[in-house]
Amino acid sequence: MSFKIAAFSFLLFFGAGNLAHAHHSNSAYDLDHLQTMGGTVKSVNWSNPHITFTVERDAKAGEAASIWVFEVSSPGVLTRSGWTKRTLQPGDHAVFSYAPLRNNNPGGYLLRVTLPNGQELSYSLTPPEADK
Amino acid sequence: MNNAVKQTLLASCAATLVGLFLLPAAMAKPPDLSGVWIPDVKDQYRQEETNMPPWQPSKLPQIEHMIAEQDAGRPFLVLDYCLPHGMPSWMLISHNAFELLVTPGRITMLGEVDGNRSRRIYMDGRKHPDDPDLTMHGHSIGHWEGATLVVDTVGVFPQAYIAVSEAVGIPNNGDMHIVERIHLTKPDVLQDDLEITAPNVLTAPWKTSRIFHRYPKRHYEITEGECVQEDLLPGKDAFGNDIFIPNPQGAYGTVHTLK
Repeated sequence: MSFKIAAFSFLLFFGAGNLAHAHHSNSAYDLDHLQTMGGTVKSVNWSNPHITFTVERDAKAGEAASIWVFEVSSPGVLTRSGWTKRTLQPGDHAVFSYAPLRNNNPGGYLLRVTLPNGQELSYSLTPPEADK
Repeated sequence: MNNAVKQTLLASCAATLVGLFLLPAAMAKPPDLSGVWIPDVKDQYRQEETNMPPWQPSKLPQIEHMIAEQDAGRPFLVLDYCLPHGMPSWMLISHNAFELLVTPGRITMLGEVDGNRSRRIYMDGRKHPDDPDLTMHGHSIGHWEGATLVVDTVGVFPQAYIAVSEAVGIPNNGDMHIVERIHLTKPDVLQDDLEITAPNVLTAPWKTSRIFHRYPKRHYEITEGECVQEDLLPGKDAFGNDIFIPNPQGAYGTVHTLK
């Protein structure tokens, strides 16, 4: 699934058309301007209510490396989506797809991770219909 | 046929009908509700849109402010300090699963997110204590009405939110009473019909429903993910023992720092 499709699915799931109303605390993130960046995992905080990954963004022309914090769903949701605590480890390099913080701080809500071997990691609050 | 015979026949017919239809229903084995149940989050969002609690007028400015803050990207944190959702919010807004266990005299719900998330629903006929110790999930007693589990809950902390989302809700402010009618609408679809009476914040009892799914083809489990670990990192003490040490929080990026 491409990132665009994944992002679209995310927006459908979270009801982007209704974001003007109270839904959930993800409103701190700008779901209308999804971003991607390459970086290296610095730390993993596998805890509730939300997991966080600290990532050092790759340096690029005119811009030094910088530390970003990505929030993502809960241990229960990621576990049921096939992740383990070791799926992303410190030192792993990947491309991170995220909804950026609206206040422009270096952080975002993580939607998808693409590993160097092309494997894509995502998650869903709801297990697939096939599991019913 | 005289009246006495007619009355006897009618009484016999009535007794037969009762026997045919009512007694088997009353004596039927309750459905098996045990297993891991995952909330239908899309339905939660539909409920948030279409069924707001009857807030007292004095609460409406607070609700409007929370919605405005949410829209501005500064969501109010209904869930903070790693406290459990509490009742009724656990049933209303959690995105995480719970496991329902059935044991003699008791039904237990175990939740995710923190280490002490459980609801004990006593099925042994006891009454509520006259003066229960207040807790986040309250004191619950239950009984079966046919295939419906009826749960009555009191003794909830006044600080426990009646939340319509993770960013909008009001503490129940005391004297809350919750009645749930929990039943299967399909073999693996659980519906919880809640009636929440909260005289200090609502103008009338609020009726709402939530849906949970069981996934028999997969052995999903509830997972440990201790909330307090968000503030801790693995480290070592002076003796080289593995311990948790404080996790220095950045200026942004976690739910703790978005305030």
